[in-house]
Amino acid sequence: MLTSPAILTKNFCQHFYRTKPIKRLYSALAETQSQQEKPSIQQNVKDPILNHPDYFQVHNLFTVKDLFDARVHYGHKEGSLDERMLPYIYGSRLGHVIFDLDKTAEYLRKALNIAAHIAYRDGIILFFLRGAQNSYLVQKTALECGEFAHTRFWRGGVFTNADTQFGAVTRLPDLCIFFNTLNNVLIQHTAVRDSAKMAIPTIGIVDSNCNPNLITYPVPGNDDSPSAMKLYCKLFKTAILRGKEKRKEHLGK
Amino acid sequence: MARSRLEKIGTIYTRTRGLIQSGAVHWDDRPLWYDLYEAFPPLEEPRFDRPVPNVPLKKIFYEEDKIRALLHNRNKQIGTVNMFNNASSTLSKRFIEAYKKLEKQHDGSASQEQLYEETIELLQRERQKQAEMQLEDEQVSLVSSFKRAQEQRERFKDSANIAIKVSDLFKKE
Repeated sequence: MLTSPAILTKNFCQHFYRTKPIKRLYSALAETQSQQEKPSIQQNVKDPILNHPDYFQVHNLFTVKDLFDARVHYGHKEGSLDERMLPYIYGSRLGHVIFDLDKTAEYLRKALNIAAHIAYRDGIILFFLRGAQNSYLVQKTALECGEFAHTRFWRGGVFTNADTQFGAVTRLPDLCIFFNTLNNVLIQHTAVRDSAKMAIPTIGIVDSNCNPNLITYPVPGNDDSPSAMKLYCKLFKTAILRGKEKRKEHLGK
Repeated sequence: MARSRLEKIGTIYTRTRGLIQSGAVHWDDRPLWYDLYEAFPPLEEPRFDRPVPNVPLKKIFYEEDKIRALLHNRNKQIGTVNMFNNASSTLSKRFIEAYKKLEKQHDGSASQEQLYEETIELLQRERQKQAEMQLEDEQVSLVSSFKRAQEQRERFKDSANIAIKVSDLFKKE
């Protein structure tokens, strides 16, 4: 379940009560065409944290051996394969799809880095999982790293119609982490589409029967085994906590 | 705030960038992830209409699969394998190891059939040996303890007074 709107709206004023766009609109109307400012795309200021390829050292959180031991390489059977997953797959062993763990590691490190950075910038992170077996684990993980989890039926409009549904201006999450991207009838979770609609970046563990296209940072791998789920939970928790720790450290200065 | 909900067109980045470019969203109001996306772009663009890649799905086979097939073709009922058990190796693994060893010993002079039968014999002998060892272990512990008890009894038979002190029971031998 989505936690109370009061918590979801933390810091929302920072994002929604800025009046700059409106001011700009008026000033743009007042200005003549020639005086209008150049398009407002700016270069990022040289930020040492953003320029560092791996500021939170997430590469040392796991090894390919760890992935193998957690059975991340097992996909579904060949018959349920989504062809868009083919580049991440090593091959088919007697009808069972096997993931290329070198690629999985690369994508997972990328995803962990983003999670840590979002946590560092005080973003709201929302974990998703459908499936009773592992949902308690995911909820517990979210609780432990001070973030949010949604592991139940997805009511349409939680993102797209949030202001009406929660009765107040609502700050949506800044990152959605899907521990599986399917709902329990094996079609894509509606929140994947809704996140793309609301321009929220997503991280998703995509199994061999999933569509990786709309996921911003896909991680090819097994999304069913409890051992794999435990590993993902541990990794994302550590990455997020590292981001938060650094934030505290830098704010304390 | 201005927003484009057309998730099937472009990516979240290109849509947001367009809004900033057109002035609908001010640069200071860009989303929290915007700088991150620029610094760490995903390996593939997360477009809805990304085409299906033309990559063949290769079959995974190993050299020793021929030996494995030799075993499994003849023995359909091998039983289940506990995949959580990392302590002992599976039957097919043991078979492959023994087969390869024998193949090396024969140096190419033996036929497949001959090697198969020899390997099965070897494995059966090993199994028997293990079973005997286990049995022996059990017997040794039972028989020897019984014998020891009997000997002790006979030793004390002569002395009429068999006095057992409690402190003796806890003495180390």
